Amino acid sequence: MSVAELKKRHVAAMETVDALRERVKQKRQLLLDTDVKSYAKSQGTTPISFGSTDLVCCRTLLGHTGKVYSLDWTPERNRIVSVALDGRLIVWNALTSQKTHAIKLNCPWMRACAFAPNGQSVACGGLDSACSIFNLTSQVDKDGNIPIARVLTGHKGYVFSCQYVPDQETRLITGSGDHTCVLWDVTTGQRISVFGGELPSGHTADVLSVSINSSNSNMFVSGSCDATARLWDTRKASRAVQTFHGHGGDVNSVKFFPDGQRFGTGSDDGTCRLFDMRTGHQLQVYTRQHDANDNDVPIVTSIAFSISGRLFFAGYSNGDCYVWDTLVAEVVLNLGTLQNSHEGRISCLGLAADGSALCTGSWDKNLKIWAFGGHRKVI
Amino acid sequence: MSMTSSSGSTAGRVEAGEAARSDKQQQTTPPPPPPLPLPQARTGGFLGRHRLSAAITRLDQEILSLQEEINELETMDPSSAACQEVLLSMEGKPEPLLPVTRGPEDVSWDRWFQRVRSSRGHKWWTHKGSDFS
Repeated sequence: MSVAELKKRHVAAMETVDALRERVKQKRQLLLDTDVKSYAKSQGTTPISFGSTDLVCCRTLLGHTGKVYSLDWTPERNRIVSVALDGRLIVWNALTSQKTHAIKLNCPWMRACAFAPNGQSVACGGLDSACSIFNLTSQVDKDGNIPIARVLTGHKGYVFSCQYVPDQETRLITGSGDHTCVLWDVTTGQRISVFGGELPSGHTADVLSVSINSSNSNMFVSGSCDATARLWDTRKASRAVQTFHGHGGDVNSVKFFPDGQRFGTGSDDGTCRLFDMRTGHQLQVYTRQHDANDNDVPIVTSIAFSISGRLFFAGYSNGDCYVWDTLVAEVVLNLGTLQNSHEGRISCLGLAADGSALCTGSWDKNLKIWAFGGHRKVI
Repeated sequence: MSMTSSSGSTAGRVEAGEAARSDKQQQTTPPPPPPLPLPQARTGGFLGRHRLSAAITRLDQEILSLQEEINELETMDPSSAACQEVLLSMEGKPEPLLPVTRGPEDVSWDRWFQRVRSSRGHKWWTHKGSDFS
């Protein structure tokens, strides 16, 4: 077939894709008969109301000398790993505020870190396009540093996100600026599967965030600069299970909802959204109130759900940390305006494994722990 | 998607220059140079065909997957079903960060406000309900 004929076919195929996408969009619109807010209202859901001293900052973790970019809790509750622009990976006992490890990294430009399920290893990755693994039980070297146990190389772009597969010590998923996610075998350093890239239905821009479903660790979701989130089945890397449209900008953060059937997203468009994994429906948009004259809408940098899912935490570029009532879709608290709040952008946040505390990391170089310090009524 | 092609030979431009110079003797304004030959892919158009074919294959796959999605949408539950599930998923679940929660309460939820023994001696965290300064 000549180039001219192929060009005609290409144009025709693009037109078909556009027409089908429009049909999908219209059919989906018809299926959106309600959102979470309207449904909850129809069921008489009582909005949450916090007293002024209910959620408090109960720890400030001091030690980083550069912007904090990422944090992760251990499954056994009290330890946190963080990376910052000072080129250090620090492991904290959040309860005592003590540092148990402070590792000087070869590459200071780290963007992601994660704790292994057994709490004995940590991973970090960033602008070195690789993911480095440290075994925290190793002997330190003569400089007092823990040697790198393994480096996961193969990405052709920066590593923006990493997470260990919850029930598997030896597997880790990364999201990268090369538009792919990769499932790694940490013990061998080999790539088990690549999600996206040359394959169809992959992201078409940098992958900024990944979240693995703790109810079904075969499933994970990724968020990208292509303004979509995509759902993947690790057993079938050839094609994304579903693509979620709706955001108007980079999807900076994705997190599974506690029930494992929904997930949340946070974006450069200033909104958070809740999507249904199975149907692909967008169930709710969480949009901040802002001045109509204000062109600078703060972007959502990071999100997390409380353990029941009733609270939806969102960190923003202006230092706000909104606590959304997931059901009523209203902001019930702004941790950014409380006493002892951060003085800069919230870059990362995460919930302790038992749900009793939230950790926030900021460009003000600190991490803070927030917990419920008010009177609790148990019903 | 872009097609790669090498730039055309410089022969065309050289000829144009020579034509302009020869005409100069007869006219004050040189005639416009003849149009340059169209750029040709180095390998005679193969690279362009290959890339176009690959792009068409990807688009055809996307068409199939969109058609599948349209079929699924015919029998898909509306969003209200999922919204109901969201509400139900929270019922009965204890929530340490809320003022009102289902039980059972776990005493360790309040460890952030209890006396903590650290390696550097005792640290004392104020009781729950107190202001933190």
